[in-house]
Amino acid sequence: MRSAAGTILIKICEFALTALLVSFFTFIAFSVIPGDPARVMLGTDASEEQVENLRAELGVDRPLSVRYLDWLGGALKGDLGDSLSFRTPVNELIKSRLPVTLGMSLMALIIVLIVAFPMAAVCASRPGSLTDRIVSAFGHVLFAVPAFALSMLLILLFTKAFGIYTAGRYTAPSDDAGKYIASLLLPSVCIALPKIAMTFKFLRASMIEFSASDFARTAKSHGLTDLKILLTHIIPNSAVSSVTVISLVLSDIMGGSLIVEQVFNLPGLGRLLLSAISRRDFPLLSGIVFYLALITVILYFLSDVINAAIDPRIRDGRSL
Amino acid sequence: MRYKGNILEVKGLTLTVSNNGEPGAVILNGLSFAVRTGEIMGLIGNSGSGKTMTALAVSGLLSDFAKIESGQIIFEGEDLTAKTAKERRKLLGEKIGVIFQDPSSALDPLQTVGSNLAEILRVRNLDKEAGRRQVLDMLRIVGFEDPEQIASRYPHRLSGGQRQRVLIAGAALMKPSLLIADEPTSSLDTVTSMSIMQLLHEMCQEMGISILFISHNLNAVRNFCDRVMVMKDGTVIDSDTSWDIMGQPRSAFTADLLAKSRLDPDKLGLTAGKAADDAPCVLSVKDLSAGYSNGALLRKSSRTVIRDITFDIKEGDCLGLIGSSGCGKTTLIKTLLGLIRPSSGSIEKNGRIAAVFQDPATSLNPAHTVRWHLNEALKASGRNAGGDKDSLFIRTLNETGLAEEHLHRFPAQLSGGQRQKVAIAMCLIGEPSAIIADEPFSALDAASQASVIKLLSDINRERKTTMLIVSHNLRVIRAMCSRVIVMNDGVIVESGDTASVLSAPATETTRMLLDARMYGV
Repeated sequence: MRSAAGTILIKICEFALTALLVSFFTFIAFSVIPGDPARVMLGTDASEEQVENLRAELGVDRPLSVRYLDWLGGALKGDLGDSLSFRTPVNELIKSRLPVTLGMSLMALIIVLIVAFPMAAVCASRPGSLTDRIVSAFGHVLFAVPAFALSMLLILLFTKAFGIYTAGRYTAPSDDAGKYIASLLLPSVCIALPKIAMTFKFLRASMIEFSASDFARTAKSHGLTDLKILLTHIIPNSAVSSVTVISLVLSDIMGGSLIVEQVFNLPGLGRLLLSAISRRDFPLLSGIVFYLALITVILYFLSDVINAAIDPRIRDGRSL
Repeated sequence: MRYKGNILEVKGLTLTVSNNGEPGAVILNGLSFAVRTGEIMGLIGNSGSGKTMTALAVSGLLSDFAKIESGQIIFEGEDLTAKTAKERRKLLGEKIGVIFQDPSSALDPLQTVGSNLAEILRVRNLDKEAGRRQVLDMLRIVGFEDPEQIASRYPHRLSGGQRQRVLIAGAALMKPSLLIADEPTSSLDTVTSMSIMQLLHEMCQEMGISILFISHNLNAVRNFCDRVMVMKDGTVIDSDTSWDIMGQPRSAFTADLLAKSRLDPDKLGLTAGKAADDAPCVLSVKDLSAGYSNGALLRKSSRTVIRDITFDIKEGDCLGLIGSSGCGKTTLIKTLLGLIRPSSGSIEKNGRIAAVFQDPATSLNPAHTVRWHLNEALKASGRNAGGDKDSLFIRTLNETGLAEEHLHRFPAQLSGGQRQKVAIAMCLIGEPSAIIADEPFSALDAASQASVIKLLSDINRERKTTMLIVSHNLRVIRAMCSRVIVMNDGVIVESGDTASVLSAPATETTRMLLDARMYGV
């Protein structure tokens, strides 16, 4: 068995490697796409000399490899540099946007879990029944609708028809926590719905599988009721197999949130990312990608920890 | 309070199983039998004879596809078929206990043994401390010396035999009046299954539990059951005291079953495969050690499972390999097949070596037909089949006792014995010089066992294909192998002529394996 400290050390190394690779590939991709940050900032009317001056000022006249190593050196010290287009530290920019994306993703995940688990449990307890078929069909429909289409539909419904929501209004959590949650609720639902379908389908299959398992049969032979067997044996066991899937869903949710932010006009990482790409703002782009990679690695780490907490077989050394 | 009279009476039970909404196949056909209070009733028969369905019908654990068409199941004077599902479930927790075949997955892997067992008492609203004491007491009764430690362990850390003991403890905790044991020992090795059967026997006598003991092994029930009945096609065809059935079987079917499970070499026409004195060596193993390693780059731990193994097999020889579970038999096989890299020593092979594994249900790909499997085996062997592959496939199938019609079947459309024959045909396609068979019979019923054994023995004799047979069934080894090696704890403890090793065992390991056989397992 590996010690906890050793495990964490390995995870940190894994993260460092992931971040390095991710930033490297972002750098390569950036050197391939045409466009110049100075030109973008000054517009097409600016003279060649003006552009050259700005390029020197921004430091983008140096070779890409030099700029990358320069950036990497700063990143190692925790300094992601200054954004070329906003002229402010990348760290600050990201910090102000992070609560939107993270909050929305977290809320979406909670919605996914509290809806998908009971749905799956109901369907799995009587597979093939009318309820199962209706709920499964509903799931398929949700699965098929893209998040952005759903977003527009819900905006239309809640702003025009019910008049209880204003798109684009965002309150920072430090100002008013209640309003912060309220402003992110509808976008979270939009991200969550397609993912509910995905998680539900997986959970349902795994619960049906575990209902037919030998230990469920043993529990029956011990005289436990079906409900009790579902709660004490089937749900915990399918939770183990779903943790990995749920962590995949969560990174999917993060991706979904980038799109939904755009539709709801929320100041999140997604919009920042888009503007970084369109303005050829390499430090900002790398910074955002770096943060997203960090979050993903942390998520996977957490899912491993949760799995180990539930499943003794994993604790017993089968790779954490 | 013991119930007077027959604790269980099944009268004219007919049961069908429907398949995708189609009208059902008849699984139990007017089944009638009775279990007397306080006795152990053996129920034997081949796979598909309806033994397990009987167990499920009596315990009320039938799936939704199975339907009781007619008949009664009278338990302690009450007709169970007239009860609601809820009442039946309640009865399960109180008066009827069940132990199933495969203990490996019958406990919830996420809970400790203690909490797996405690749930039984929680159903009865027993307070926690009293419940814990009862669980520990019961674990002691089933033979654990340190019950507290066992209770705190998770199931995956227990051996198969330990898990089956835990499950028996679970069934006994309910203090049932009837215990249904469905092949409780068939996945365990000989020595372990003997101790499990002894345990069941003691529980029957000391706690007054009546037992319905289901098995496909006639020898297993011989010294253990008060009475035996034989099932075929959903009905009981022979039923009497244990002794009479064994001594003078009334029906031809029982006589046949008996002969097959005894593996009488004369009746089956078996001869032990023996190499000619000047035959070349096919497999030569010298000072072989191997084991498993864990962990990735940073920290590596390794465990040596087999040590200093040395033996030779000559062409046409049939070598038996015996030993209880965990002695390293499977590790040795995997190393010989190149699935594990040896840590030291050498393996010299002369020609191709093919393998047949224990469980034919999982070793074939369910999505493909027999033809596909044979074709894969042919490709893997690199052998040139000439023009007509299909005629080669059919010839090979015929040799294993299968017919042309099986060529386009899927594994699910074959019986266990037929699947194992497909696995053997896959070996034969490559014309190997040796076949390694790892417990190839233990998942099969007596009749299929006998036919697969006969097949391997014939191949050995006619094709001069060398065999290495791993089995914990000494009857098989005696009938097929001219030489035997005995393993214990990763090393070879004894080897030599089968007859002399088994008649005059020199080590405790061999003696224990023989004792288990004497008990009739």
